Amino acid sequence: MFRKLYLLFGFLTLGTAAFGQYRGWSLDTVNELKNVPKSVRDNPGSYRSVYSGYHHYTGGK
Amino acid sequence: MGAGTPPLPGPPKPQVKALNCPKCGAAITLRCFGQAETVVCGSCRCILDAKDPNLAILQQFEIKTSDVKPFIPLGTRGKLRGTDYEVIGFQRRHITVEGITYSWHEYLLFNPYKGFRYLTEYNGHWNDISICKQLPMMEGGFSAGAGGAANYLGEVYRHFQTSDANTDFVLGEFPWQVRVGEHAVVTDYVRPPRVLSSEKLDKEVTWSIGEYMYGREIWDSFKLPGSPPEAIGVYENQPSPVTTNVTSIWLVFAAFAIFLLALMAGFDLRAKKEPVLHETYLYNRADAKGEPSFVSDVFELTGRTSNVEVKTYAPVSNHWVYLNYALINQDSGQAWDFGREVSYYYGYDSDGSWTEGKQNDSVVIPSVPPGHYYLRIEPEADPSLPNISYTVDVIHDVPVFGIYAIAFVALLVPALLISLRAYTFERSRWSESDHPPIQISAMTGSSEDDS
Repeated sequence: MFRKLYLLFGFLTLGTAAFGQYRGWSLDTVNELKNVPKSVRDNPGSYRSVYSGYHHYTGGK
Repeated sequence: MGAGTPPLPGPPKPQVKALNCPKCGAAITLRCFGQAETVVCGSCRCILDAKDPNLAILQQFEIKTSDVKPFIPLGTRGKLRGTDYEVIGFQRRHITVEGITYSWHEYLLFNPYKGFRYLTEYNGHWNDISICKQLPMMEGGFSAGAGGAANYLGEVYRHFQTSDANTDFVLGEFPWQVRVGEHAVVTDYVRPPRVLSSEKLDKEVTWSIGEYMYGREIWDSFKLPGSPPEAIGVYENQPSPVTTNVTSIWLVFAAFAIFLLALMAGFDLRAKKEPVLHETYLYNRADAKGEPSFVSDVFELTGRTSNVEVKTYAPVSNHWVYLNYALINQDSGQAWDFGREVSYYYGYDSDGSWTEGKQNDSVVIPSVPPGHYYLRIEPEADPSLPNISYTVDVIHDVPVFGIYAIAFVALLVPALLISLRAYTFERSRWSESDHPPIQISAMTGSSEDDS
């Protein structure tokens, strides 16, 4: 019984991995946005990243 | 059947024979015809000779009757594995191991056509036991100095325990000369759910084969009121809850791991890994006082929806740069916004030399449809850094090995859990045997001794 379940689970896992790879999944987190104005190309300053000004000094031991 | 046909010959109908105890006069009931050798008076605990018409007293024993109460009362009838049986005898036996006494109950069942059968109960664990039809063969090599193994009907049973069993309470009828204080050497060999037992009494050895039963089955068979006592611990021949062969699970896991490796190699070969942008930019703090953001040239992503890797390299040394990125589809306005830090520090302290961070960074944007894209980049940098150049690479359709790592762990965890479950169960089982697993405490003790 468990062996059958494990087989099913294994095939699902492998299938998911293959599908994810095919569809270009990633483990990184990025923020997806819709309808960014076309004017950004000509005027990059008209767009502000959600991460802008987010960074703080963290370097060094 | 015609009117003149005589009735078919058959076994006599069972009849109960009523007698009285010669000591106390209490009624004695004999249920198994002439097959009983001894019968015990339930009133005065006299063991009587059932073959003697006068029921000669063979032994009398004293015990607190409240201490011993059979779960299945004598005379109870039930259907066990398709055959009707009546409980005619009951005895309590015990062994003493390292000063601890372990008691179990044995019920003698009788069917006039099928003969005798036994049920044993220990801490809520039951066994259906019958006499072996064939003499088991002994096998050696199970463990040095141990009782070896026994082969019965082609199946190997591992030695579990050899102990001295003593009878300390009897009730009902028995087809042998039962006595309280009777002493026998009992050796158990297990192959769950079965147990093969040899019982040596003087020079006579009796072999029996038992099969584990759950209390609920016994209660249902004899239609007993209430619930069976809850099983405590793991019994010697109790079937493992892990019904699957653990080796087969690991074989399946190995097959999956190989398949996963093949999948990884296949996708790695198939991935385009197409460089679509390679630019080096200069961050100049003086220039950045105005609007620091800018956009890259437009590049095209072709083919199916896939991922995009953005790699950044900055030759920082005890400094940092931070880049606010936005990958923007110039046609649809769809964008992916993310920030990446590149920092690299090093130094020397009382612990020795140290480094932290890297001069390069990589991020993979998932599921980007084909189209024309550009990057909006807004750099920030360490205030002490006047200027720095950095390189941005955009690569289309790259393999993500982390997905395979997650899949590997997902496949590994159930196999590990099932193995651990099986291992702990078997460890509990054998810890009660003559061959206990090595105890961690014992190992710790020996290491301390060594030190």
